[in-house]
Amino acid sequence: MSFLRGVAAVACLLALAPAGLPPYAMTLLTEALILGLFAMSLDLMVGYTRLLSFGHAAAYGLGAYTSGNLLLHTTIPLVFAVPIAAVVSGIVAIGVAWVCTLASGVSFSMLTLAFAQLLYAVAFKWTSVTGASDGLAGIPRSPGPFGITFFTGKLGFYYLVLACLLGALLFCRALVRSPFGAVLRGIRENEAKTLTLGYNTRHYKIAVVAIAFALGGLAGALYAPFAGFANTELLFWLFSGQVLIMVIVGGAGTLVGPIIGAAFFMLVSNLLSSWTDSWALFFGLIFILFVLFAPQGIWGLAMRAFSGAPSAAGRGRWRSLNWTG
Amino acid sequence: MALLELDGLTRRFGGIIAVDRVTMRVEAGEVRAVIGPNGAGKSTLFNLITGVVPTSDGSVRFDDETLTGLSPYSICQRGVSRTFQITALFPEMTARENARLAAQARHARRWQPCGGGAVFGDTERRGDAALERLGLTHVASRPAGLLSHGDQRLLEVAMALAQQPRLLLLDEPTQGLSVEETAQAVETLAGLVSDGAMTVLLVEHDMEVVFRLARMITVLHRGAVIADGTPDEVKADAEVQLAYLGGLA
Repeated sequence: MSFLRGVAAVACLLALAPAGLPPYAMTLLTEALILGLFAMSLDLMVGYTRLLSFGHAAAYGLGAYTSGNLLLHTTIPLVFAVPIAAVVSGIVAIGVAWVCTLASGVSFSMLTLAFAQLLYAVAFKWTSVTGASDGLAGIPRSPGPFGITFFTGKLGFYYLVLACLLGALLFCRALVRSPFGAVLRGIRENEAKTLTLGYNTRHYKIAVVAIAFALGGLAGALYAPFAGFANTELLFWLFSGQVLIMVIVGGAGTLVGPIIGAAFFMLVSNLLSSWTDSWALFFGLIFILFVLFAPQGIWGLAMRAFSGAPSAAGRGRWRSLNWTG
Repeated sequence: MALLELDGLTRRFGGIIAVDRVTMRVEAGEVRAVIGPNGAGKSTLFNLITGVVPTSDGSVRFDDETLTGLSPYSICQRGVSRTFQITALFPEMTARENARLAAQARHARRWQPCGGGAVFGDTERRGDAALERLGLTHVASRPAGLLSHGDQRLLEVAMALAQQPRLLLLDEPTQGLSVEETAQAVETLAGLVSDGAMTVLLVEHDMEVVFRLARMITVLHRGAVIADGTPDEVKADAEVQLAYLGGLA
């Protein structure tokens, strides 16, 4: 139960944060929590199932454009538009995963990339829905239901994001500790064996991609009303690569690690970019150092430092990554 | 009524016929070994029965149901469990979790996405019982990847047993074991099959192991069946002497 106590303590701290932080910092923190939710959703695929996706931005973009359109063109309140967008993203993912899981290993990764780039190309041309290269601007945080206006303000929106992140974290934790989660770990360690033990591994993979896309879509759906706009960059492969880096640097297969990885990515890229235009180069170096010397990520390092026990992420995971699946 | 019936089972890889019109019956409660020199098609035969490799021709019937064309997971769900010639385990999981996950595959709520205390309880009991039958209880909490090669071979058998299969396929269970390890493993396996409650199909290279465990033997040579009968009948068969037994002696 120490995990739940730790989460409760951090949640209390985050809930009190608005009392002590200036507005600029609160904006950064809100964005970090949204990115953390996004990175955690990818961890279900990368960390728990060894499904390396190079196109997870598709989930974020789908969520952002769906909630953006709902909020711009309908009177659906913010608190309903966000979960609807997440569900839409999850449903689209079932079709995507059905195609992508025809392959495995590196071919799977390439198919996810191809699909995300396809959505990117569509977003550029489908002006009436996506606003093409201009994107969608002026996305409101619609009030309601019953005239509730709390979530339309910056403070209320922050609490909405925090609630989504905590809910998603507890949901993911229950998922990975369930019988379903045990099968995912089986697929991660030896998919062929899992199949011959009598598990329809493809169905499990499609299910986990759909869940990861729904949660990634939830993050994107929160981002659109947070920033007030959505553009094609949210679907671009660069963003897919960045979220993969957040997962690995934070600690794949730990759920909490990728959330920290997202915050770390935002913090370090903000610091570096104020110092040099080539910040991505230096962040790339940090990423390489992690892969080589701390494959268990920030969370794994922290666990080892504080409790002396190796984390669930294990050592040497990325060095032993088996591309042939 | 035979539990497993192969009828004209054939597999071609390009121009090579790996398994050539194999017809074979395995009765319920029988322990049958499939022997033959390297490249005789023994492992391919297993892969055809379990759906790992698609069939070119012929059919596999199990308990009066055609398995041909089914996927590996649905064949396993019908009660056919197997081990592999090259050990296939979940190396980072403990031996106990390996056996438990194998048992979970036959649980009605194996996919349950939250909670699952009851599923874990049931399957852990079945997995632990299988570990005990193979004498692996003392290594249950160690990661499977760190077990000795002999224990890994037995763990794979334990995983198959934890599924309470109606037909157990063992692909060279003593492959790569030392003489002492082999003797030990054979005693353990003999104890398992002695009560006649289990139907076992066994591929094995080591003739001592075969004669110790099997009551019926099928001999494959270049993919085709050249002899079929009790160990004594097979030993006396001239063609077998020429193709296999004589070749080794």
